[in-house]
Amino acid sequence: MSPHPGWVASLLLAVVLLPLLSVAWLALESLNNPTAWWALWTAPQTVSAVALTLWTGLASTTLAWWISGWLLAQGFIRHRLAGMTRVLPAMLATPHAALAIGLLFLVAPSGWVLRAISPWLTGFEFPPPWPTTQDPWGLGLIAALVLKEVPFLLWTAATQLHRDDVRRRWQAEFSLAETLGYAPDRAWWLVVWPQLAPRLWWPLMAVLAYGLTVVDMALVIGPASPPTLAVLAWQWLQDADLAANAQGAAAGGLLALLVLVTGLGWRTLMWASWRPLDGRRGRVPTRHTDDRTGRAGGVWAWRAILLIYGAIVLALAVGSVSGVWPFPAMLPEVWTLQAWITVWSSASTVTDTLLLAIGSTLLSLLWAVAWLELVPRRWDSALRPLLYLPLVLPGVLWVVGLYGLVLWLRWEGQWAGMLLAHTSLVLPYVLLALSPAYLGFDPRYRHLAESLGRSRWDFLWRIKWPLLRHALAASVAVGFAVSVAQFLPTLYVGAGRWNTVTTEAVTLAAGAQRSLTGAYAWLQFVLPVLGFALAAWVGRPRRFTVPST
Amino acid sequence: MSLYVHIDRLGSAHRTLIRDLRLEVHPGQVLTLMGPSGCGKSSVLSAIAGTLASVAEGQSALSFDGRIELDGQDVTRLPTARRGIGLLFQDDLLFAHLTVADNLLFAVPPGPHPERRLAVEQALTEAGLSGFGDRDPSTLSGGQRARVAMMRALLAQPRALLLDEPFSRLDMALRAQFRAFVFDHIRTANIPAILVTHDRADIADPRYTVDLGHAG
Repeated sequence: MSPHPGWVASLLLAVVLLPLLSVAWLALESLNNPTAWWALWTAPQTVSAVALTLWTGLASTTLAWWISGWLLAQGFIRHRLAGMTRVLPAMLATPHAALAIGLLFLVAPSGWVLRAISPWLTGFEFPPPWPTTQDPWGLGLIAALVLKEVPFLLWTAATQLHRDDVRRRWQAEFSLAETLGYAPDRAWWLVVWPQLAPRLWWPLMAVLAYGLTVVDMALVIGPASPPTLAVLAWQWLQDADLAANAQGAAAGGLLALLVLVTGLGWRTLMWASWRPLDGRRGRVPTRHTDDRTGRAGGVWAWRAILLIYGAIVLALAVGSVSGVWPFPAMLPEVWTLQAWITVWSSASTVTDTLLLAIGSTLLSLLWAVAWLELVPRRWDSALRPLLYLPLVLPGVLWVVGLYGLVLWLRWEGQWAGMLLAHTSLVLPYVLLALSPAYLGFDPRYRHLAESLGRSRWDFLWRIKWPLLRHALAASVAVGFAVSVAQFLPTLYVGAGRWNTVTTEAVTLAAGAQRSLTGAYAWLQFVLPVLGFALAAWVGRPRRFTVPST
Repeated sequence: MSLYVHIDRLGSAHRTLIRDLRLEVHPGQVLTLMGPSGCGKSSVLSAIAGTLASVAEGQSALSFDGRIELDGQDVTRLPTARRGIGLLFQDDLLFAHLTVADNLLFAVPPGPHPERRLAVEQALTEAGLSGFGDRDPSTLSGGQRARVAMMRALLAQPRALLLDEPFSRLDMALRAQFRAFVFDHIRTANIPAILVTHDRADIADPRYTVDLGHAG
């Protein structure tokens, strides 16, 4: 490590910031178009699309936020967090689109939920003409978003709570509040949650931004006419007419504005909602065992979420091998592997998906480790907001910028362009996943290693990285899952020349081919899950053989 | 207002830490529990406060058989929040997200706001910290923080107080001061207290001292 750290840090910064800022610049430059803004303003669907966007984005984020807080409270108080977080990776790995498609398979008029209660309860011999697939109120979209974001928020909270120093301190403060007479749930909301919530600010903003700007999920399960603003923007961007493209970019800009305004509004509300301490202790259970082992709503709510996830995966799997499937029957009459044969015959879709995911994740990991290891903490905290830009900017706006950069580089439809597009979106997630453990690493280990005469490389290879193996493997799995799930950049930057399991699944979801949709959606689910399983195996704690005493 | 502790057995499934421990502490008295580290003296306090289950999450959980009585009432099965037993730890554990005054206010029982404020002001004055109410706890010195932690424990009007090596993080000069501060307040509040320490200098009253290293 002979080069001057400032020099290396600047190089690392340039490598990422140059493309990042050019993408952002190109995206923003496309907004400098008064005609497009005027067209957007006068477009008949704009106002209702904005209203739907705000409704679905805010409702899903608020619900996900409070459900997460409540589940965390239940898990923390009952010492169930470890058990809850164990299954999170599989839920986290489930791509948004696969979840939406699976949910569709459940709640559609011909879905499993209605099949299960027909005709004995509903009297339906045929699927009813209900608008449950793409309901105009956006309820399906909200449900899908909540289902997807709760595990994400729980997981980011768990990364905080798994830090030994933090957990021990909060556990002690929590016990102390109990000795002062506070009921466990009051102690949680007054002592632990106010310290945890600010640390979840960026993940929360990612959830909010995602909820407001999501395209793939909304295409599958969101309202159709009018759609949300993000879907509207996407439709305009794909139009052959350049004026419509500009209008789409402007809609992306409007989305960015909405994210900013709602984010600031959320922050203000969070400040304003802090009430002075009134000393009320809450209802304390009468017996010691009640609050510790009692079966509370939280446990059941958590099981319900798990059950829905299980049903979704099962619905996708069964759907992918279904042939003829008349309405009230729970299982298909004819089973067929036709869809999987089709998938097999276009195997390049799967290999492209894998190569892109592996490539973009490895690049991101290399950069993130170098960044966290070599760059002064001051730089890091100052530049974080910039590095998270791709998370917070609407996807539809980001792809406009990406497309501009890729055109300029003449990488349109090329492997390099795809890699750039995916890496730009994978990197922030890898950084987000890796940071808590990496930055929380006790600096005394290094001092110790140095005092033992070890070099920096020795320390990194033999002490630090092995100790951080779990976090490193987990962040790789996160990156992989993010890349597999990408829809907009794959389609837009790939200029339609690249297909991944996600683009296939989302595109097919609009059609009537249930089995092929199910097959791709199932693949879309299973690839990241395999990634997480592999990461769990690689990152497993070392087992020592203990001599029996 | 006496605290009566009877522990038949305390430990994990594999290991017994404490066996047959009987303690009786009268109001205003400070009983000192001595012993080398790892002998289970802090776990005794956790058992009395009812926080034993949270001590070792993930590892083998600790449990105990026995009986805790306070004012003649069996509190063994009561949740921590109902016991009225205060705790003072080695670390001051001031809530980092609250001001000094709010840390104290957190402990004051519900009631009219002016009276609760007044209780906080008095506590601050008693701790020699009037005017420090709006400060961030991290800007206080170690001795100041320790005093706030003690006042916070007392403001909840506990029926007994448990002290888990509260002096060990302070330097010598502060230590003697804070010790006197704590013992004075326990006498004034007239509640039973148990002090765990491994330092003979901390002993409150040599007549009431139990050495777990020898007893166990």
